[in-house]
Amino acid sequence: MSHDNSIETFADQVKAIPGGENLEICYSCGTCVSKCMIQQKLEPDFNPRRLLRMVMMDMREEAFESPTTWYCSQCDLCYSACPQEIHISAVIAAVKQLAVEAGYSTPLSTVTVDETLCAGCGICVMACPYEATHLIQKEVAGVMDLFSEVDENRCMGCGICVAACPLGAISREGVSNEEINKQIKVKNQKFAPSLVIFICDWCLRENDDLSILESYPANVRVIHIPCSGRIDPQMALLALRSGIDGILVCGCKPGECHYQHGTDITTCKINLLDTMIDQIKLKDHHVKFVQIGTQERGRIRQEIDNMLETLTARKESH
Amino acid sequence: MVDAARQSKIDLRAYTEVERVEGFVGNFKVTLREKAKYVIADRCNGCGDCSSVCPIEVPNYFELNIAPRKAIYVPMSQSVPLIYSIDMNACIKCFKCVEACGPLEAIDFSQEDKLVTEDIGAIVVATGFSHFDPSVMEEYGYGKFPNVITSMEMERLNNSAGPTAGNLIRPSDNKNPQKLAFINCVGSRDKRFNEGCSNFCCMYSIKNAVLLKQMNPEVDITIYYIDIRTPSKGYEEFYDRARKMGIHFTQGRPSLITEDPETHNLYVHSEDIALGEVIEHEYDMIMLNTAAIPQPDQNKMSSVLNVAQSPGGWYMEYHPKLRPMDSPTDGIFFAGACQGPKDIPASVAQGSAAASRASRILHSKEWEIEPTVAVVWPDRCVSADGKSCGLCAKACPYGAVDYVKGKAAEIITAKCHGCGACVAECPHDAITQLHFTDAQILAQMRALLAEEPHKKILAFRCHWCSYGGADLAGTSHFEYTANERGMRVMCSARMDSDFIYEAYRLGAGAVLYSGCHPQDCHYITGQLIGAKRAKRLSTIFERMQMTPGRFRIAWISAAEGDKYARVLNEMQTVLDNIPEKQLLEEIERLKPEVTKRLRRFPNVPGVQDAMDFSDMMVTAITTKESSA
Repeated sequence: MSHDNSIETFADQVKAIPGGENLEICYSCGTCVSKCMIQQKLEPDFNPRRLLRMVMMDMREEAFESPTTWYCSQCDLCYSACPQEIHISAVIAAVKQLAVEAGYSTPLSTVTVDETLCAGCGICVMACPYEATHLIQKEVAGVMDLFSEVDENRCMGCGICVAACPLGAISREGVSNEEINKQIKVKNQKFAPSLVIFICDWCLRENDDLSILESYPANVRVIHIPCSGRIDPQMALLALRSGIDGILVCGCKPGECHYQHGTDITTCKINLLDTMIDQIKLKDHHVKFVQIGTQERGRIRQEIDNMLETLTARKESH
Repeated sequence: MVDAARQSKIDLRAYTEVERVEGFVGNFKVTLREKAKYVIADRCNGCGDCSSVCPIEVPNYFELNIAPRKAIYVPMSQSVPLIYSIDMNACIKCFKCVEACGPLEAIDFSQEDKLVTEDIGAIVVATGFSHFDPSVMEEYGYGKFPNVITSMEMERLNNSAGPTAGNLIRPSDNKNPQKLAFINCVGSRDKRFNEGCSNFCCMYSIKNAVLLKQMNPEVDITIYYIDIRTPSKGYEEFYDRARKMGIHFTQGRPSLITEDPETHNLYVHSEDIALGEVIEHEYDMIMLNTAAIPQPDQNKMSSVLNVAQSPGGWYMEYHPKLRPMDSPTDGIFFAGACQGPKDIPASVAQGSAAASRASRILHSKEWEIEPTVAVVWPDRCVSADGKSCGLCAKACPYGAVDYVKGKAAEIITAKCHGCGACVAECPHDAITQLHFTDAQILAQMRALLAEEPHKKILAFRCHWCSYGGADLAGTSHFEYTANERGMRVMCSARMDSDFIYEAYRLGAGAVLYSGCHPQDCHYITGQLIGAKRAKRLSTIFERMQMTPGRFRIAWISAAEGDKYARVLNEMQTVLDNIPEKQLLEEIERLKPEVTKRLRRFPNVPGVQDAMDFSDMMVTAITTKESSA
């Protein structure tokens, strides 16, 4: 899409893109900013209210360079709270589209495809919540075939495709299969039940809750992943094999997932995993998925305590 | 209120509902349901002995259900008249109250609801407003977190006659809160719930904050707001005073309240717009200033009274600026928040205005109405021949048509407001509107389309909105096509299909059908009738394969002069894009079609004369021109 009319204002351009229409009715109440998890946890300069203002004031370059344009993962927590019903993430997406057209690119770290491993099966294409992966015909090492390719400006780095890839061809810095597996393999504490917690980066809103996680002894191991959708059943099985008693996966409440539907994917994965554990008769072991909402301050402590209690009871009964 | 009760000319009917309103200004017949109190009003002296022996306790509505009341009760201690009544849904019929009442013998379990009909000259509606229930806004946790309450609940807790005798306590642990926050605009200025501003909450939260601070200067109070609106006299000064007292004002609408599960303290997440930073503060208790919303039975009452409602559900006034206390129906007036959220001074002013308007009616022997009323030709009405029709009665927004099958329809002139909906709807042209007769309108049309009609755009405008819009376009110097020819009728409901067909038969290039926006209609539902007809017409013209854009429907308010100019210019562009020859051919092609639909039109009294006369004039002018 090109914009030939040079006198068109930035706001007009944004409004012309579907989703950008309602931009003007923002009355700067700041609801979107304080609701946003990115603002809270990742980038203090992330401010949708200010981005909308920049669009209105024709501050094109500032908007294109603003982290707000690039960091939004369209979780729509702000849209559901906006009293003016402005689809803020759609406005941000419109700004991003214009930014990409103007030659800007994302500062986020995205997933990479190892083409020597990729078989072109297309599972990643189905898994991606952002339509960032697609299959293209190209020649790699003299072989003409279908390969997965990632659109960097669309990828938000949730890692759902990393978990989905059956060949381990996709990885993301910090949460590649190797790095997570390394964290899982720890020596089992002899007496206390051992527990691995896979925790999504977004489900614990409060800093108090994060400090709760650190307050447990070494038999409780916390592994941070970008999205609960990053969970690979293989990782869980590996953990159980290395002597871990229980696995607790924490994700966001349905509808509040930072990566649109990552938490729903996890629900399916954990259900399958449960069935599998039943079938291979690992009765002492326990895998649980909890979905924590933005308002559930302190719930994480409750969940971990319950889990430890269950595991202790199971251990003692054997 | 006590004063009012003492007035010999004021008859208070407590616990009574309006069932039906019939008649018209000065002559209303109002049916009232006097609900059974099970207490004889003349005998009860309000001593309350019955209530103290009653064993049943139910939630007290007046105390917002945070305190109990007995099954035999008065709604509040200052009730006027002070007469007890029994809540039969709660009463177990132990008759202890009868015993306690003793020799007064005021309690009568055999009472039943009574319907009474009264002759009423004028009606003032002062039904007030209701409160938005914030529990639907999950983000604020009302109903989930015990220490999140509404400001109204806080007022009861802080009231010396309230359930805690004025001791403000936290519901979770009954301790006095030290850190408090008020949140404004809960459910108001919010497109998801109520779009409008509730008008008084800014002042109301400042007042409550000042009250609390006066009682205990140690408490820490924050008011979260989007904008502070203090528009009336002395309000800004009060806001200043509150700031000087140390009350914190934070601009930023909280997006989330979370609770510490152990202490039940609350955390408010909001952006501090002044700092440009996200803040999270801990509070002991949070008060939500909920939106003012129309009464739950406002829809029902609006159909009983036959008055319109604005989009938010409030009663709609006759004119927002010039007649804010009048309803569109003569003799019915509004006072206070039933017409829209307003504070005490505004409600008092409106109430006094409504009372004086009403007394004007009571003191007049005659009542002047608009002269543009509808009149029936009884010989043309098919109902007189025993056929069922009643379209006029269905169309009338005021219930002014008295239609009984077998009898010619009659217009109750005092109720008629002159929109002309019935006139245009009558398929037998049996009704006419004084000063806007078919013949008069036709004569105007023919004059406007006398020369080169195919180049003209005939614009039908309603008196109240689009005519005003055209006026504004003129006074604002918005240029629009000089080929426009404007026609004024009172309402878009008067724009008879016959007029539109006739315009095309006369060879008009384009026709504009314009009126008010649906919510602004001056005649309650007139625009809806007009809009329905316009839609039907546009389908018919589509089937006739008329060039799209030659018939245009546009709803233009009196403030939209720019829109009027734009619409006309767009229509001109449509005409410009049709080659003249093709346009003339199309007009000729459609003529038989529209003439077919006009076969009854010349029979309307006066129309043939008007046609003959205008034809004669046109011939006279053209011969004069050609001879000159």
